[in-house]
Amino acid sequence: MPSGKKARLVTYASKEPSAFAEMLGGLIEANVQANPKKRQDFDALTARVGIWVTDIDEGVTLVFESGRLAVYNGLEPRRTITIRADADTVMSLSNLKIGLFGLPIYYDQVGRGVALGLLQGKLKIDGLLPNIATLNRVTRIFSVQ
Amino acid sequence: MAVKAFSDEWAAEFKDEVNKSDGYKAASKGWKWTVGLVVEAEPDKNFPETRGLVMDLFDGAARDFKVGSAGDAQKCDFVITAPYSRWKQVATKELDATKGMLQGKLKLKGDLPTIVRYTKASQELTECTTRVPTEWPDEQ
Repeated sequence: MPSGKKARLVTYASKEPSAFAEMLGGLIEANVQANPKKRQDFDALTARVGIWVTDIDEGVTLVFESGRLAVYNGLEPRRTITIRADADTVMSLSNLKIGLFGLPIYYDQVGRGVALGLLQGKLKIDGLLPNIATLNRVTRIFSVQ
Repeated sequence: MAVKAFSDEWAAEFKDEVNKSDGYKAASKGWKWTVGLVVEAEPDKNFPETRGLVMDLFDGAARDFKVGSAGDAQKCDFVITAPYSRWKQVATKELDATKGMLQGKLKLKGDLPTIVRYTKASQELTECTTRVPTEWPDEQ
């Protein structure tokens, strides 16, 4: 790579990324740049993660490829995991605290809200069972805590 | 008595509501940044000039709210910009501010992880605007 030029960590597939795509991409980029542990997770992650916000009818696909992220407007095919939730729950996911062994904490107020959302069907995660480790890694990258 | 939207009196009432809110106080512990709201002009809605609201918020309290120019608001650590009618939708609970930001109806500038960490505080702040009795210029 030419000296002085840094490859962007996050790129947008569309010339006109949606506000939601820019917000998620910007959030992940800021998290990864500020936190070496999140950077490690980011560098190790290869997955296609869909996030659909049910109450605004908008979504994105996050394509992680070992240290790069491409953000697509809408849901793209061949997703590893797809998270479907309302806007408040999506914001809660990014506020989950990370505890021992890098696992998200589900016993504080925010974590209980997310767990309750899963039980009540307000939060649906397709592909969860075979991809729990991937989901935990995505959650760590996504979390601002 | 109702006060004119986005006037000095409105800002003072809004500040009082924020300082009365236990929900905001609890959710905004540790907040130490200024927030600027830019309310863009919509002459056809009887709101002819863009205004800025500069909010000095610190650790659960509203220290000072001032109405000024868009330039004043744009100097803040966080800036949220929308046309007059969008802000009216937020203040009348027609539009949830979080959803508005995710949809790009309210444009946000500032450190995203910080604003996401304080989502609850921003919701409480929005709730406070809904409690200010307001005269809307497009309804006069």
